[in-house]
Amino acid sequence: MNGPLVPNEILTPEMGLAFALIAGLLFGFFLERAGFGSARKLTAIFYLQDFAVLKVMFTAVVVGAVGLLLLGGAELLDSDLLAIPPTYLWPQAVGGLLIGLGFVLGGY
Amino acid sequence: MNLQFAKQPSYWSPYLAGLAIGLTLILTYYVMGHGVGASGAYTQLAARMLEIEAPAHAQANVYLKRYLELGTLLQSWIVIEMFGVLLGGLLGALSARRFQFQIERGPGIAAEDRLVFALLGGILVGFGSRLAQGCTSGQALSGGAVLAVGSWFFTLAFFLGGYLFARVARRQWR
Repeated sequence: MNGPLVPNEILTPEMGLAFALIAGLLFGFFLERAGFGSARKLTAIFYLQDFAVLKVMFTAVVVGAVGLLLLGGAELLDSDLLAIPPTYLWPQAVGGLLIGLGFVLGGY
Repeated sequence: MNLQFAKQPSYWSPYLAGLAIGLTLILTYYVMGHGVGASGAYTQLAARMLEIEAPAHAQANVYLKRYLELGTLLQSWIVIEMFGVLLGGLLGALSARRFQFQIERGPGIAAEDRLVFALLGGILVGFGSRLAQGCTSGQALSGGAVLAVGSWFFTLAFFLGGYLFARVARRQWR
């Protein structure tokens, strides 16, 4: 079981930092290609015009979740070592609400 | 409601972009054991800036001290990742010939007013993302992919928040 590579010390933390740049590059590039450089496109979902934000987010989460499950099941990835955000219901709910408000107000 | 949308530039299909981002998430978890993020980078930056200005105050702040202990900005995974996102977005825009300095807004609003909205929105997102310990990248996408309950709650609240207050912001796009 190789993955996750840095926690299993197959890659050093320094290589992990280098990978941070790659992860960001990919993420930023695909977000821009989806059109999320545009505040108008980003907020359009809240005016029931363009549902790209929902489609992208939902697809990404489903693909990610299925992929991680498959990798875990195939024992290529040690799922126990995955960092899972802890649940703090009220802060996450109120924070999410504030972000939604700020998002539609600011456009980003 | 009459919202003017410009001629559609050649964006990717949202499903294709979602697939690509999903694969990026898988790769990131496989390499690092954690997902992507964004808001943490700003906290790191804020902590560092405060430390330069008022080191005693920064050290005394329990919340910020944690971020200071993580190391310098160049040692912070999320700060480097954010820089990557900036570059990636730039590359995307340049290669699609979409790069433009602009204050994107509707025809009926002045640039200054749009900027005020943007600032207010930014403050709310900044505060809310720290309250939730993440934003749409860290909580909705990354947390969502590992099926964290709180992250899904966050995502629901996010969409609810957006819809509840869309009215207030609508005039920016008219």
